[in-house]
Amino acid sequence: MLLEIKGLHASVAGKEILKGIDLQIRRGEVHAVMGPNGAGKSTLSAVLAGKPGYEVTAGSVLWCGADLLKMTPEERSWAGIFLSFQYPVEIPGVSITAFMKAAVNAHRKAAGLPELKPAEFLKLLREKMAFVGMKPEFASRSVNEGFSGGEKKRNEIFQMAMLNPVLSILDETDSGLDVDALKIVAEGVNSLRSPEKSAIVITHYKRLLDYIVPDVVHILKDGRIIRTGDRSLVEEIEEYGYEKFNG
Amino acid sequence: MDKVFVIRNGAADGLPSRIVLEAGEKLKLTLVVMPGVSCERSVRVELNGPGAEADIAGLCLCEGKDRVSLELNLEHNSGGCTSRQLFKSLADDAAKVSFSGLVKVAAGAQKTKALQESHALLLSPDASVQSQPQLEIYADDVECSHGATTGYLNPDEQFYLRSRGVPEAEARRLQLISFISPVLQRLPEDLAAELSEAL
Repeated sequence: MLLEIKGLHASVAGKEILKGIDLQIRRGEVHAVMGPNGAGKSTLSAVLAGKPGYEVTAGSVLWCGADLLKMTPEERSWAGIFLSFQYPVEIPGVSITAFMKAAVNAHRKAAGLPELKPAEFLKLLREKMAFVGMKPEFASRSVNEGFSGGEKKRNEIFQMAMLNPVLSILDETDSGLDVDALKIVAEGVNSLRSPEKSAIVITHYKRLLDYIVPDVVHILKDGRIIRTGDRSLVEEIEEYGYEKFNG
Repeated sequence: MDKVFVIRNGAADGLPSRIVLEAGEKLKLTLVVMPGVSCERSVRVELNGPGAEADIAGLCLCEGKDRVSLELNLEHNSGGCTSRQLFKSLADDAAKVSFSGLVKVAAGAQKTKALQESHALLLSPDASVQSQPQLEIYADDVECSHGATTGYLNPDEQFYLRSRGVPEAEARRLQLISFISPVLQRLPEDLAAELSEAL
């Protein structure tokens, strides 16, 4: 088992948001987590990535059998977990190149590999930028500063391609994207799919799941997964909304 | 003139205490106070003729028991002049920084534009920063603004960097570079590199 979540309860600022989540993900599987606003979707992704301020009050999360909750955010990244942010953060004065160089070399160090030579790093950077359709001039731009919504999301998928994660968590990657941007992001995600890699696609709408087809679909409502099914569940939600699903 | 003054221990910095700008003269001045320095400096800039422009930026990197006190007085004695001040301070350990910036617009100095900003980051609970922006305006047709902030490292930035595998200490260094980058960009490459390394 790649990821095993058992009875997970989590609070933010003293308020319980996750009220007992059970979820198992194997290698190669794409899971969709759908639900209305305020259901706890983003809290789940934040807890998995180790965001400070989210307190796990009960339950466990195992990553390849190891206690994920004991790991720092950077250790989780090195272990192969990647979170595509719903709201990517702007870091003025730090270029995408400088950011990715620090990230890639930290990953290599954790894996016992030497740092990439500058020419090797630039080659990798250019290759992955081209892969997600990012213009080369973005390499020297400050991280997310002045980017449009679509450019920010594309930058997330670029970082994902650079770091080659085992589990990608896409937190509302479709929010704020027009159809063209959505297709580019979905193509990027799909081309990274492999029997070894898994993903959690968190979304409110069916739209993204037309492009990234999930193996398993979960409905998260009021901090609990109240229904799990195959992709036909997406159609059911589309037709009836979340109202009819109750725990 | 475009000048960079660096205050470091055991070296003369040559920072003048008074600069006078006549009509149409332009000044670009950048001041850097290196870590490990305690000092008190005061600079008065007089804008005495129309069209004079002063663009002043400062950077204080303070740590240990550093005590830094800076005072900058911008005197708009003539109308039609522009001044811009940007100060960035980092205070770590038990360092204390005080920055006092006065913009004085003389009677009749109409069409004055003056902008003053000072931002500080506290990196330790024992560090302190005191910012005193002051405006004294005796003319009525002016555009003057000032802003001062003191804060801590942004946890959302930090989490974003760490979530990509950047270790905590390196994430913090990138955040500090981000914070001081508006001043860093004004410095010669070798000095900017030295500062980035020192963080």
